[in-house]
Amino acid sequence: MPAIEIRNLSKSFGAVRAVDDVSFTVEAGTVTGYLGPNGAGKTTTLRSLLGLVAPDSGEALVNGRRYADLARPVCEVGAVLEATNFHPGRTARDHLRVLCAAAGLPEARAEQTLGQVGLADVARKRVAGFSLGMRQRLALATALLGEPRILILDEPANGLDPGGIQWLRGFLRFLADDQGCAVLVSSHVLAEVEQTVDDVVIIAGGRMVREGTLAELTSAGDRGVRVAGAGVERLRARLEAAGATVESPQDGVLLVHGAPPETVGQAALDERVVLSELVRERSDLEAVFMELTAAPGGPPPPPVAGAVTGAPGSAS
Amino acid sequence: MTRLVRAELLKVFTTRMVWGMLALSLGFTAIGLVALSVLSGAQGVPAVTGPEGVRNLFSQAGTGLVFAFVIGTLLMTGEYRFQTITYTFLVTPRRERVVAAKLAACAVVGLLFGLAGIALAFAVAIPALLIRGASLSLIGGDVARVCAGVVGAMALYAILGLAVGSLLRNQVAAIVVGVGWVYVLESILVALLPSVGKWLPGGAAQAVYGVSSPFGSGYLPAWGGAALLVGYAAVFAAVASLTTIRRDIT
Ligand SMILES: Nc1ncnc2c1ncn2[C@@H]1O[C@H](COP(=O)(O)OP(=O)(O)OP(=O)(O)O)[C@@H](O)[C@H]1O
Ligand SMILES: [Mg+2]
Repeated sequence: MPAIEIRNLSKSFGAVRAVDDVSFTVEAGTVTGYLGPNGAGKTTTLRSLLGLVAPDSGEALVNGRRYADLARPVCEVGAVLEATNFHPGRTARDHLRVLCAAAGLPEARAEQTLGQVGLADVARKRVAGFSLGMRQRLALATALLGEPRILILDEPANGLDPGGIQWLRGFLRFLADDQGCAVLVSSHVLAEVEQTVDDVVIIAGGRMVREGTLAELTSAGDRGVRVAGAGVERLRARLEAAGATVESPQDGVLLVHGAPPETVGQAALDERVVLSELVRERSDLEAVFMELTAAPGGPPPPPVAGAVTGAPGSAS
Repeated sequence: MTRLVRAELLKVFTTRMVWGMLALSLGFTAIGLVALSVLSGAQGVPAVTGPEGVRNLFSQAGTGLVFAFVIGTLLMTGEYRFQTITYTFLVTPRRERVVAAKLAACAVVGLLFGLAGIALAFAVAIPALLIRGASLSLIGGDVARVCAGVVGAMALYAILGLAVGSLLRNQVAAIVVGVGWVYVLESILVALLPSVGKWLPGGAAQAVYGVSSPFGSGYLPAWGGAALLVGYAAVFAAVASLTTIRRDIT
């Protein structure tokens, strides 16, 4: 049973179809990035998963059950959501004490989680004086109170400084790798999560656009193999014979499409050409993401899943 | 369930607002008590040496109803204003339990405000009676009934605040509605149109206190007032539940 399972989920707000037939799963021990531009439907999906929004159709399950049916939800699922905040007049510790009281957890958990997210020093300070990043850390502390095995995070990097983002990445990997947690993290910036996630689900305009491993997704931006060195022109005939197309963007550089790097390397060995460079060229991830989530009115999105997996030149 | 009520009470008592409201409530009570003691017997004010005057005196414990209303309002609107409702429902996804806990917390707040007012009433009434040479035996069954009414009315107004807060969600709007209701509409209707006013929560509270209506037609009997208060509480509780349970939290 997957830790998180979303099956044909749809939700409209009035005329706006916020989420349209979305399905995916997240397994324990993995981090899944849920990506999409602003207004794509990420928050709506995550809030449906947490019983805060009632879906029109489909199901969103955690540990095989609806969130509202969990006996001790905070001990199974931890969440950091957008559009949540804290009472400014209450201290960080008091916020957590309130939640501990409601969840039947020992109050000591408040102190422990504040330590975990690096807020131990300001535990007794009123939240009014907290920076955005400190609030985000406090939100993370609330998610950790019940030591859940599933974490759902909606744009958790918002407001964090580069150091904070680095810390968050490490923390999410620690949760997945060392604690075996299933982590679902949304973002509208691919670069923000690319170093953290194993799997990627991309949504735009409420519809799923792509689903696959990060490696599969990045290979979609494959722009061929770039090879440089004096005399690389001698490789052309050999590579074309192997079915590749070859361009020469400048002297001493070839751009090879339709052949893996190994084939190019073998050709260089056979021709005894000294190479100064041999790399798989990729469009940067942001560009791939932009392409996939092109504004509505553009060409229809490519078919979901499979499309990427079946593409030639899948990344190693 | 008790842990949820405890959590809601923690919410109330981990902010400073509750003490400010309690202080205001006691301030209003103090003004009423002093005024009635000083004016005792003068200008149509019933003398504190008689049962009616003593009832009036103790009913001052409940003059700060609007402040209990505000606390009830904040308990709901604060969740929307500061967007903590998400955390509340994440911990307790069965929302009817959250509403039930908030209702119970309102009752406790009402009890606290009521008891504090009553304590103050005793503190002023005893010396006032002694100074006026009245017998302390005047503080009897009547006063017990007034005190029960004060506590009930305080709890009711906190619950009313919770219901208005659930309905409007906007803190300022809910408080304006509450203050406008208690100090303008209700007091005018109770005073000038008692045939209508006696059916309102304020009129029901007066009935339980057993104070006489200044303008004719009179209030309901005490038991009627009590029944009406309970009825209102039930209606407001239903409003709070229905408006909270189904709403999408986005
Ligand atoms: N309560 C609501 N009422 C009306 N429309 C809503 C509501 N919540 C979301 N929407 C609409 O649903 C769509 C999806 O919104 P959602 O917040 O899920 O997107 P998102 O992917 O989280 O965006 P962002 O990156 O900006 O956070 C948007 O068009 C939004 O305007
Ligand atoms: Mg969002």
